[in-house]
Amino acid sequence: MNRRRFMTLTGSTLALLGGGQAFAQQPQQQGRLRIDPTEFRPIPIAITGFVPGSPADGDVSNGVTQVITNNLKRSGLFAPIDQAAFIERISNIDVAPQFQNWKTLNAQALVTGRMTRQPDGRLKAEFRLWDVVTGQQLAGQQYFTSPEYWRRIAHIISDQIYEQMTGEKGYFDSRVVFVDESGPKERRVKRLAMMDQDGANVRYLTRGADLVLTPRFSPNSQEITYMEFGQGDPKVYLFNIETGQREIVGNFPGMTFAPRFSPDGQRVIMSLQQGGNSNLFVMDLRSRSTTRLTDTPAIDTSPSYSPDGTRICFESDRGGRSQIYVMAAGGGQAQRISFSKDDNNATYSTPVWSPRGDYIAFTRQGGGQFSIGVMKPDGSGERLLTSGYHNEGPTFSPNGRVLMFFRDPGGNGGPSLFSVDISGRNELKVPTPGFASDPAWSPLLSATAGQ
Amino acid sequence: MKVNVDKTLVASIALHVLVIGWGLLTFSSKAFIAPEESLPIDIISTDQLAQITNGQKTGKKEEPKPKVEKIAEAKPEEDAVGKVTEKKELIKTNSTPDTPPKPVEKPVEKKPDPPKPVAETKPKDEPKPQEKKPDPAKEDPIAELQKKLDTKKPPPKPVEQKVAAVQPQQQPKPKERSFDPAQIQRDLDKRAATRHELAGSALNASASLGSTSGTAANNVATWQGAFQGAVKRCFTPTYNGQDANLYEADIDIPMRVDGSLASEPVIVAVRGPSRSIAQAVAESAKRAIVQCQVYSFLPKQQYDSWKLIPMTFGLKDML
Repeated sequence: MNRRRFMTLTGSTLALLGGGQAFAQQPQQQGRLRIDPTEFRPIPIAITGFVPGSPADGDVSNGVTQVITNNLKRSGLFAPIDQAAFIERISNIDVAPQFQNWKTLNAQALVTGRMTRQPDGRLKAEFRLWDVVTGQQLAGQQYFTSPEYWRRIAHIISDQIYEQMTGEKGYFDSRVVFVDESGPKERRVKRLAMMDQDGANVRYLTRGADLVLTPRFSPNSQEITYMEFGQGDPKVYLFNIETGQREIVGNFPGMTFAPRFSPDGQRVIMSLQQGGNSNLFVMDLRSRSTTRLTDTPAIDTSPSYSPDGTRICFESDRGGRSQIYVMAAGGGQAQRISFSKDDNNATYSTPVWSPRGDYIAFTRQGGGQFSIGVMKPDGSGERLLTSGYHNEGPTFSPNGRVLMFFRDPGGNGGPSLFSVDISGRNELKVPTPGFASDPAWSPLLSATAGQ
Repeated sequence: MKVNVDKTLVASIALHVLVIGWGLLTFSSKAFIAPEESLPIDIISTDQLAQITNGQKTGKKEEPKPKVEKIAEAKPEEDAVGKVTEKKELIKTNSTPDTPPKPVEKPVEKKPDPPKPVAETKPKDEPKPQEKKPDPAKEDPIAELQKKLDTKKPPPKPVEQKVAAVQPQQQPKPKERSFDPAQIQRDLDKRAATRHELAGSALNASASLGSTSGTAANNVATWQGAFQGAVKRCFTPTYNGQDANLYEADIDIPMRVDGSLASEPVIVAVRGPSRSIAQAVAESAKRAIVQCQVYSFLPKQQYDSWKLIPMTFGLKDML
């Protein structure tokens, strides 16, 4: 079923209250008391069990409640209050809650909702977000969908809550494509797999006959480009998620690898091996014409576009060691941006530009450790978020707030996926069926529904 | 009617009584230590403590009553004068090595006259000097005293000054000190701290509300600090990404005299690269202000200064 058709998002807003203050670039007035908190604390939030419209809707109601609670908790920005502590039981979401009961629990926000099966078989999901302190409703919406997509509804509601409380877009209604690894270490089977960002709904896209690496989503999340070792040289492929069809990108004489879509989805940028070197090329998917972007006696690889598509960052050892460079999307002079302050031998690789444009994430190898970090596009403000035996391959969440990467502890084990906030907080293991590597986060699905 | 009594039963009961009695006696022989009486405590912040201890500058200009622990006749000064000569030896042994002990004796012997009127005329305002800690004996107070006496200061004058200075005590220190041998003794005799316990006609368990030199409740910085700390407890902004330092929200907070909000806080302005994030910061700040009320610690007598509290919430320290 076409994802564009699967869901009728009747974004009928019941009410949207609060705020309305004009955004003003005014200078700060003199004589004001200042508060600048130094520590980060998650927002206490009460998520009540969604009320089933009928006894048959009990399971789906519980499921939606659990998914929302799990999403908000894993974000690190919210602290869902244990339902066992609730004083009031919500049985009708159309009646305003007794806010004093929730103030007692120190909740700042309250979520109520209802799931009802419609006569036509569709599922109706309603939710309200309340500001406990002021007693105002911050958001209230209802959605209709096929019953099998109840998890997506839960993710969309989670995004609504996240956005209302933080001012930033959420990232819960998104997917992750990764390389699923199974079997003994010397005969590891690697399959292309896809799942919801919380690890649910795993789907295997390839059978594991050939080795696959570096999968990347297209901007509309309909296609995946990746590298596969076939009979001849490894090639870059395009994979259509809906149809399951795949095709080779271009017909180059050598090995192509490290592909990535342009932000408009019209081009794929990749590396092409030529002798001992590799250079960057971009191919227009409509005309199939290719353009060389770099021409150096070095290894240029792992290109990634800026969100506006005007620049790319990539790694190159043209200076002797692998470092990160930035140049115009059409090629030209590249500027090195990675400079380690404490280790001249450190190398930087796998750069990826944040969807928000504010950071470039990377893998840094130095001092016997692999670290995941971020820096500004001009190279300033470098910050390492996590370090260890082997961390690699960062990918940004759709809102640029969270990074996912894979970690291999060494030994006979295998890699796993982890996520961490761009501030370095809230490092969490992402559940996968087996070993997993090379994650790539999709854009927000609800944001790309019209593309 | 005769009741058949089982001897073994009687023996058993007797034994049990003995054992239980012995046990009771043994256990009860242990002295019961009465638990210490619990004391009510208030948990206050350092800012609030500072406010309390600083006293009040504009407080009533009443003469502060000393803390009185004993009911007795109030005759400290007379005793003090009388002790001056008796405690010569103490002065010698306890005074710091920096100050030569010899000069201490000389002025006291040389000028016996001045102390007497001092002692007679100021029994009421005497508590003050006793409470003051003596200045370190780096400078020789006796030498100073001598100098002042040498500069033609006749003895009667200080008497008049002290009578006049009974009510306030703004700047009497040097004058009192110059003609008060008891004070000199107290300055030099550091061992005498316990001797300064005051006696009075009635018990006064609490100290005065603060010294006249305290910054008092009108110390704006004090209530401001307490208010900032209280609101900060509830402020939970969620953004700590790039350019966090650029996000700010100006909010005006109308207050009632009881420390509660007179009305909803008003977002005056928000700043930052992203409008939605800046707005979320402002809303979060508003929630914090409302949630953490009532701010009952705000000084009511200074209500005019916090009737409307303008605040700026920022994120510059979040990363």
